[in-house]
Amino acid sequence: MAVSNYKWIRVVQSVFSHVFLIFVALTCLFPLLWMLRSSLMTNETIFIDKALIPQTLHFNNFYLAWTQGKFGVYFLNSIIYTASAVFAIIVIASLAAYAFSRLQFPGKNFFFYLFLAAMMIPLPGSFVPLVVLMNKLHLANTRIGYILCMINVGLSLSIYILKTFFDKMPSALEDAARIDGCSKLGIWFHVALPLARPAIAVVVIFNTLNIWNEYILATLLLNHEHLMPLQRGLMVYQGAYSVDYPMLMAGLSITAAPVVLVYLFMQKHIIKGLSEGATAG
Amino acid sequence: MKRILPVVLAVFLLAGCSPLIEQKDTITIWHWMTDRQDAFTRLAQQYEQKTGVKVRFELYAPSDIYSRKIVAAAQARALPDIFGILGEKKRLALFVESGFVADLTDEFEKNDALWEKSFFEKALNVNRFEPDNAYKVKPGIYGVPLDVTNIQMLYNEELFVKAGIKEPPETFDQFLENIAVLNRLGIDGFVSGWGENWMIDCFSSIYALNIMGEEKVMATYRGEVSYTDEDWIKVLSLFKTMRDHKALVPGIVTKGNKYAEQDFALGRAAFAFNGSWCVNVYDKMNPALQYKVMLPPRVDPDVPMQIWGGAGSSFVVNQTAGNRQRIIDFLKWLTGKEQQVFLSQETKNLPSNREALSEIPDVLLQFAKAMDITTHPSLWPYNESPLVTEAFCKGIQAIIIGEATPEKVATDVQRLKEREMKRERQ
Repeated sequence: MAVSNYKWIRVVQSVFSHVFLIFVALTCLFPLLWMLRSSLMTNETIFIDKALIPQTLHFNNFYLAWTQGKFGVYFLNSIIYTASAVFAIIVIASLAAYAFSRLQFPGKNFFFYLFLAAMMIPLPGSFVPLVVLMNKLHLANTRIGYILCMINVGLSLSIYILKTFFDKMPSALEDAARIDGCSKLGIWFHVALPLARPAIAVVVIFNTLNIWNEYILATLLLNHEHLMPLQRGLMVYQGAYSVDYPMLMAGLSITAAPVVLVYLFMQKHIIKGLSEGATAG
Repeated sequence: MKRILPVVLAVFLLAGCSPLIEQKDTITIWHWMTDRQDAFTRLAQQYEQKTGVKVRFELYAPSDIYSRKIVAAAQARALPDIFGILGEKKRLALFVESGFVADLTDEFEKNDALWEKSFFEKALNVNRFEPDNAYKVKPGIYGVPLDVTNIQMLYNEELFVKAGIKEPPETFDQFLENIAVLNRLGIDGFVSGWGENWMIDCFSSIYALNIMGEEKVMATYRGEVSYTDEDWIKVLSLFKTMRDHKALVPGIVTKGNKYAEQDFALGRAAFAFNGSWCVNVYDKMNPALQYKVMLPPRVDPDVPMQIWGGAGSSFVVNQTAGNRQRIIDFLKWLTGKEQQVFLSQETKNLPSNREALSEIPDVLLQFAKAMDITTHPSLWPYNESPLVTEAFCKGIQAIIIGEATPEKVATDVQRLKEREMKRERQ
């Protein structure tokens, strides 16, 4: 009897928790579904047709956004900016974090806290000096100038996350690698980096999101349309007085797709990285 | 690692490490007007075909980010040949004082002021600094208006027919009578973006001008007349009257103008208070919408209404731009009749050139007819403190939702006004 009651309680608890989780999942998915259905409508029907699936589907919006809205060009630019900057951040931040964690050198703590302090400066506060600096270096309105700025923006937090992981790495692994003839750079590459895979996944997703969604600095630094990232395409559909909602939603769907894919591919590492990060220290 | 590094280097090189070579003979223009980029690009192509001069319009939106770009570029001494300055007149004054904007007075006055005379005077005044101006800027004209705008009332013709209303109201009492008829048929009366303070400020200030005249309004701003004066109570009471007569759509005080525009475009309200830009907005939302423009109905029938209006957007010329005459020539061409008609037809904005009025869409012409009775806070000799204006508008919102009486709002605003004046004196 007691066992039967216990089973019933478990079943009821399970049903309630699943219903609750389904509800939460739906609230997360609903904006995405709304974005997709709006992207298949016209400006006239978007305010009238309240159905989740529109009566007439206008897939042409995606084509128009890609061609007339120049999302094709912006998409390629965003891929270049995100891939280059994230890759550079991983290389530089992991080297720096490894050095801060494992090596002894004068001013180690000073420089580490300096990086941490950089995290406290709000990004908009550094925009104007960055633009002035890039102009002085003749790097304004170039892809490399923008990529360097985005690397700079992402480094502090990435170094902090990776150092936390390297701090927990057993020193016996390092000793074993050293006995096998590994140099310091070799230990970083063959031992530290593979172990830090969950942390790297977190750094990748944080920076990918940050760079993929960045627009203000791009607008300040870049002048030519063909250098602009995806976010520009979205802004163009949001006029001061009117908004082209279907095209905006089609653009948003195009913009969101790669980020969703990155998250789906890396979700295991990200969850592991975040949970390990949560218990670190 | 040995394999990865060359790939990374290749990506960087492919990404373009060298700066783009700017063509020095190209006129570069920065703007924020997303709805006009295509039309601008076509005009630039026309101009290049005609003169051989290449013009490049670069769009940066939204407007707040555009403004930041302008400030950053000014500090980096990297402003383009032509650009727009958004915001209050004091911002333009700051750019002029800092030496970023060229004085165009001589150009406007050439050939018996031919270029100057082609514009609506009110539009040009937004870019003009008079002698002894409050900003201490050298008197002159510093910008070229590209289009003009004004804010009036609109009515839905189909809903009027449904309610049997033949003529738009001319007085406020007639307006309330129309509302009662519409309400009986279950039609909401009036919508506006009164979730945005500036829209309330606009509506209340034109009625303040109608009820007490400009001199008394300015005297209030100078602190010589109290907000508890019976005329100001009358202004505030208009909102209570509209509330009591159920003239306003539900939730009007939380509506941004974009949502208010949706309501009118979809026939959810018979009257709207909106700017001339709405022609483009309504056309996109509901091309079949039948509507007309009317002046806000007068409270005092003996005093003519004034409405807010002036330059919609203007371009200024970079003081340090090398090819000044070519830039001016282009601006003269851009604001010429043909180009203004083209811009107006393509973007449904009011042209700044008076001569272009003969060939613009009818609904725009209805807006344009009122340009001579426009006014704007930037043209007034005195402006109210932003804090007081905000309190006044928030007070009106409180009246509309029934949380405050006109008398209480007037007392609160006056108290704040006195505090502000005391602070200014210190």
